[in-house]
Amino acid sequence: MLLFIVKRLLLLIPVFLAISVVIFMLVHLVPGDPIDSILRVGATPAERAALVARYGLDQPILTQYVTWFGKMVLGDLGDAIILRRPVADLIAMNLPHSLALGSLALVFSTVVGITAGALAAIFRDTWFDRGVMTLILLGSTVPSFWLGLLMIMLFAVTLGWFPVSGARTASALVLPVLTIGLGGVALVARVTRVAMMDIARRDFVMMLHAKGVSRWRIELGSVLRHAMMPVVTILSLRIGWILGGAVAVEFVFARPGLGSLLITSLNQRDYPVVQGCLLMLAIAVMLGTLLGDILQAMMDPRIREGMK
Amino acid sequence: MKIFARRLLAGALLSSTFLMSGFAAVAQDVTMVLPAREVGAPTYDPIRGTKLNVATTLIYDRMMLQDADQSFHGQLATEWSVTEDGMEWVFKLRPGVSFHDGEPFNAATIAWWIPKFAGTENAFMTEAIASVEIIDDLTVKFTMKNPDPNLLSNMATTFMGVPSPKAYDAMGDGYGVTGAVGTGPFKLESFTVGQETVLVRNDAYTSGSALSENKGPAHIARLTFREIADDSTAFLELKTGGVDMLLSVPADFRTTMEAEAGLTVVTMPGRELFYMPINTTVAPFDDIKVRQAAALAVNQPEILANLYGGIGAVADTFLTAALLEGKVKDELRISYDPDRAKALLDEAGWVAAADGTRSKDGTPMTVKLWTQNGTEFRRITEVIQAQLAAVGITAEITVLDPASINDEYKKMTEHQLAVRSYSYENADILDWFFSAERLGYPNVSMWTDAVAEELRIKAMTGSRTWDERVVNFTAYHEYVLTQFVFAPIYQPVQSYAFTTDALMVPEVIRSTRVQSQTFLDIMVK
Repeated sequence: MLLFIVKRLLLLIPVFLAISVVIFMLVHLVPGDPIDSILRVGATPAERAALVARYGLDQPILTQYVTWFGKMVLGDLGDAIILRRPVADLIAMNLPHSLALGSLALVFSTVVGITAGALAAIFRDTWFDRGVMTLILLGSTVPSFWLGLLMIMLFAVTLGWFPVSGARTASALVLPVLTIGLGGVALVARVTRVAMMDIARRDFVMMLHAKGVSRWRIELGSVLRHAMMPVVTILSLRIGWILGGAVAVEFVFARPGLGSLLITSLNQRDYPVVQGCLLMLAIAVMLGTLLGDILQAMMDPRIREGMK
Repeated sequence: MKIFARRLLAGALLSSTFLMSGFAAVAQDVTMVLPAREVGAPTYDPIRGTKLNVATTLIYDRMMLQDADQSFHGQLATEWSVTEDGMEWVFKLRPGVSFHDGEPFNAATIAWWIPKFAGTENAFMTEAIASVEIIDDLTVKFTMKNPDPNLLSNMATTFMGVPSPKAYDAMGDGYGVTGAVGTGPFKLESFTVGQETVLVRNDAYTSGSALSENKGPAHIARLTFREIADDSTAFLELKTGGVDMLLSVPADFRTTMEAEAGLTVVTMPGRELFYMPINTTVAPFDDIKVRQAAALAVNQPEILANLYGGIGAVADTFLTAALLEGKVKDELRISYDPDRAKALLDEAGWVAAADGTRSKDGTPMTVKLWTQNGTEFRRITEVIQAQLAAVGITAEITVLDPASINDEYKKMTEHQLAVRSYSYENADILDWFFSAERLGYPNVSMWTDAVAEELRIKAMTGSRTWDERVVNFTAYHEYVLTQFVFAPIYQPVQSYAFTTDALMVPEVIRSTRVQSQTFLDIMVK
């Protein structure tokens, strides 16, 4: 198992290098630059040129990349041009909010999604299954910003149970977590249901039924356990999304987070911040995928054997 | 008689003590939402910052403040004078003023402060000042490199709040981020960029200007500014009492808010102006008749009535109505005149077909109309597209994000018409948008004209006094209008809203926007 993990970690190095090139080039190839955002009315073309030079934007793109990468491997993500702080500080300010919101939403969508999906599979083709699937369809199609506003209207304005927005109290997390989590519930429940229905048709399940093992024991003990493989894959892919995918919800609930930081900085072409945020998200996706692979390898010895 | 006078004095003292204790007793925490445009201001460093929010005006006093009528009123400077040639300014400073860190404010502060601007993005604010001389502890003299009648206007801006020299030098690059120390009515307690700023009252404050009824400490004890980018969320926070005041109300929400019991919505003249720059170097707009036709095709009253419910004002010059330089000759104002627009297009050789579209030598009159993303821009642009079509100009809309659109303008030949807006309170915006030194962006009109350049340079550097500057900028503005390098569209109003149960806000705002002079007079119920 250790060898498996080491091999997978080594594979991440060229992936990381390739991602750093793609991120840097993408950010710099998008039209626009950050100087227009900081230029004051009255600035002369010479003053503009001085600003461009100050931030090294007059250098060839390859030189800029080498400088950025050299600093980055030493742990220095540079300073934000617009926000005028070290990028690492900005990420450190926003990351805890993203982690809290994303991880709670992931836990919520995992627990509720697996439960709903499993029950829908067990009671397939009944009114319960159809009801759950209808709700899932709704959950996966309603835009999160609209769902967020509905949540605010109901739970904050009408009932007054939670604050409308902000990140000052723990209770302010409830509505954003529900808003994001409900979208995830739909995905997890759908994957769980389909996987369980697929597993339920396998020979070993038929054999368990033939041996007279109780239905609930088969469904929860064998079918659900085997159906977790695709669910783990889906969840591992969502780890990156946890950090950066909640932009609309962060916007509606006026919460800080990496997603909002990334979008705001992208609009202003604050290159160092965009690069830093994208790098964080890429690392999260890579680690999430690695975690998913490890979990799958733990669950299925054939995968471990395949890596040898 | 002496006894009566003593009793009268004692009574007055008692009354004032009672009143003051009454205010102190009701002083509470107040939470406000910053205007959308000010969301994301990264620093409270007025010297190096390029985007500052209204809280900056509460942390720092300025030398003088500007009223809504453009007049200047002393704050840290009690009086000032300028020589006839505009080359020397003398400022008398307010005595007894201290920074929040206990350091004294005096002439030495000014001598330290002015040179600090050199090399920063705000250097142009003070670049006309050659030297600062300390006459005495409370008097300074500026010797100028050249006359700068805009000096007072600059000194009244947020960017010229005066920081504590000791704190500024001690904090270095972190100043404005980790801390900010001024002489203003509030002290900075905490600042999380993009989220919130918390200020606490400066109880020792005595520098209220003539623009505030209250000259002493603010009535609000603790003031939190939240940054909420989504208008719906901000409105719901106000409705549920999560915040007490929104410092800007979007036009779409004004009617809804006005209908809410317990909310007061107030509008005041705006600082923004929507306009349509015309690329003068690309056919068919290299022909002034076609430019004039496009400008006269814009039906400003229709936009005001149908898109904004009559709230705001039509724009018929390049400057907002509050600016003196905007008061040009009536015949130069650019107003909707479709018949004249059609006649001009006919004269320019663009022949109308039966379906109303025009062509010249077999080339159809199809032009590019760019706009930036955002509901308001798209809505105005779509209306203008229809208005241009009404005189025979077919406009194809392209929507770009603000950073990309600026980059496209810099290519100089890709754009023809665009819908843009600016928010600014000085006539030198004309120099920014029409100087031949800045073709592409910000001179989106790509306009180079010898007469215009002569008038522009005279307006920018050839004025000794404020009045002379107004005359010179008015002349430049009038010439710009005659060349139809843009079409004026609309001037929005500014609106703010507050909960009537929580706050009493002065009815008259003695500024072009709600800032320190108004905050001093806001009372908590």
